[in-house]
Amino acid sequence: MIVVAASLCMASGFAVLRLGWPGNSRFVAELLLKASLSIGFGLGIFSIIFFLSLVFHVSHLMLLDFAVFAVLLAANLVFSKRSTVHAAVIASESSRDALAPWVSRLIGGGFIFALVAALYSAILRLIAYPHGDGWDAFAIWNLRARFLFRGGEHWRDGFTTLLPGSHPDYPLLLPAAIAHFWRLLGSDSPMVPAVLGFLFTFCTVALLFSGLSTLRGRTAALLGGIALLTTPFFVELGTSQYADVPLGFFFLATIVLLNLHDDRDDKSTNTGLLALAGLSAIFAAWTKNEGLLFLVVVVLARVWVIVKKERPYGGISQIVPLLGAIAPIFLVIFYFKHSVATGSDIFASSNAIPHKLMDPGRYGAVLKWYGKGFLRFGNWFLIPGTVAMLVYYFVSEKETNRKSESGSGVAIFILTLVGYFAIYLITPYDIYWHLRFSLTRLFMQLWPSALFLFFRMVRLDPEQVAEEL
Amino acid sequence: MRESQTPRVVYATLTLVLCFLLSDFRLVKDAPLPGKVEDSSDDVAKRSDLRFAALKAVLPQRGVVGYVGENGTDALGDYYLAQYALAPLVVDHSSDHELVVGNFPSGPGDTPEGLHLVRDFGDGIELFARKGGE
Repeated sequence: MIVVAASLCMASGFAVLRLGWPGNSRFVAELLLKASLSIGFGLGIFSIIFFLSLVFHVSHLMLLDFAVFAVLLAANLVFSKRSTVHAAVIASESSRDALAPWVSRLIGGGFIFALVAALYSAILRLIAYPHGDGWDAFAIWNLRARFLFRGGEHWRDGFTTLLPGSHPDYPLLLPAAIAHFWRLLGSDSPMVPAVLGFLFTFCTVALLFSGLSTLRGRTAALLGGIALLTTPFFVELGTSQYADVPLGFFFLATIVLLNLHDDRDDKSTNTGLLALAGLSAIFAAWTKNEGLLFLVVVVLARVWVIVKKERPYGGISQIVPLLGAIAPIFLVIFYFKHSVATGSDIFASSNAIPHKLMDPGRYGAVLKWYGKGFLRFGNWFLIPGTVAMLVYYFVSEKETNRKSESGSGVAIFILTLVGYFAIYLITPYDIYWHLRFSLTRLFMQLWPSALFLFFRMVRLDPEQVAEEL
Repeated sequence: MRESQTPRVVYATLTLVLCFLLSDFRLVKDAPLPGKVEDSSDDVAKRSDLRFAALKAVLPQRGVVGYVGENGTDALGDYYLAQYALAPLVVDHSSDHELVVGNFPSGPGDTPEGLHLVRDFGDGIELFARKGGE
C-alpha cells in the first residue's frame, strides 16, 4: 500500500510538473530536477487532497487520489506540447564548465564525501529520533497530523485556542501530507513524518544541484551541493521533522523555476514555468506562515520585473500564469485561515505595533541578532560557510551579466529577509526570546535559495575568465 | 594578468571546498552513535504514547480534559508529550475541568484543590475528577 501511495504521490507531482514544463526540454539532463520537483509538488497535492477530503467528508481517499491523478493525466494528454521551438539559453549553459580535470575531480570527490557524511548523519538521526528531534515536531507538526488522522469527523477539535503553543493558525501542507499517508496505511506510523523529513532534506539538495547544473554547469552544482550538505544545521533541522526545510524547498523551487523561465529565449511564449513557480510559491504559503510573506514578495518582485522590462501587453501574459496557478490553492488557504484556524499570534496585539516600530532599540536588537545569526546559523565547524563564501566572492571574478538575470530571485531573497526583520520588530513575544528560538531556522529556510543565487552569480570556470581577459 | 587570474580562482575554489568540508567533522561527530541509536529511538514514545497508553484507554475518545503537572524546565515539554499521546482528545493546561490528567514524572504529586484522585496509573500518571462530579 505504501508503495502505491508513494508512487501515486510522485506521479501526481510529475503530471502537474509536465503540464507546465517546456515541451522542448532535455529529459535526461533534467531528470533529477524533475524528480525532486515532482516529489515536492506531489506532497503538496496530497496535502490539499487530504484537507479537501476532510472538508467535504470524502471517505474513499485512495479513489480520490486516483481520480485526481486521472484528471491530471487527461490534462497532460489534452495539453501535451509538440513544440518545435528550441535553442533555449539553458541548453548551452551546461557545457560551460572548463576547469582542469584534476580540479573537477577534486571537487567531485568533495561532493561525494559531503553526500556520504550527510547521509550517514541523516539516517542515524532518522533511526534515533523517529518522532522528531525537538518540541516543534511533537508539539506542532506531528500533533496536528494526529488530530487530522485520529479526529475523524471531529478533525477540527485540534484547532482550538486551548492549545496556543501548538499554533493552530499554522498551515497544513506537512501535517495533511503525513495524515494522508497514515490514512492510506491505516496507522499513524512515526516513520511517515521521519521519511518525509528525510525526503525534503535530500530533495532540496537535489533541486539545488540540478537547478545549478541546468543553469550554470557542473562545477557550480557541485559547489552548491557541497555547501548545503556540509551545513550541519541543515541536516539536523531537516531530520528533526520541523517544517522549515520543506518551506526552504518550496522557496528554492520558486526561485529556480523563475530563473529557468527568465533564462529561456522563448520566455514570452512559454509561460508554463511561471505557472509552476506560482504553484511552488503557494505551496510555500501552505507550509508555514512565513510562506505567505514569501508569496506576496514573489508577486511583487515579478510585477516589478515586468514593469521594468516588459510592455504592458507582454506583462499581463507573464503575470497571469503566475496568479492563475496561485489562485486555486490560495482559496483553500483562505478557507483554512477563515473557517478552521485560530487567529495569528503575531498580530494579536496590533495596538502596540506602531509603538514597537518607533522603538530604535528593537531595530538594534534585530540587527545585532541578524549579524550573529549570519555567522552561526549553520552550526559550522571553525569557519562559517557564510564567511567563506563572502571571502570567495571578493577573491573570485563576478560575472556581471548574471546579476540582472537573477534580479527577481535576489529581490525576492532580500525582501523576504526584510519581511522577517519587520516581523521581529512587531512580535508580541519578548523580542530576545523570539530571536533566540527562531532566527536560525528562518535563516535556514532561505539558505538553499541563497546558495543557488550565489553560485549562479559567481564566476567559476577560470579558463573562461582567462579567455575574456 | 591572464596567468595570475586563473590559479587564483582555482585555489580560491578549492579553499572554499575545504572550508565547507571542515564542517563534516561536526556533522559526523554530532550524529547519534550507531551502537546507541536503538537506546534513544523510543524516547518520545516512552515519554508519551507508552506512558499514557493505560490512561488513554479509560478517557473519552474526544472532548477536553484538564491537566496538572510539575514545575520546572521540563514541565512544558511533559505537557506537550501528554497532548501528543492523548490526541485527538484536547488537553487543556488547566485544572478547571471535570476530568484532569496528572503528570508527575518525578513522583506522585499532590491532589489539586477541588479534585479527587480517581486512579493512579503508576509512573507518575494520575487521573483526577472534580469533587461532586462523576
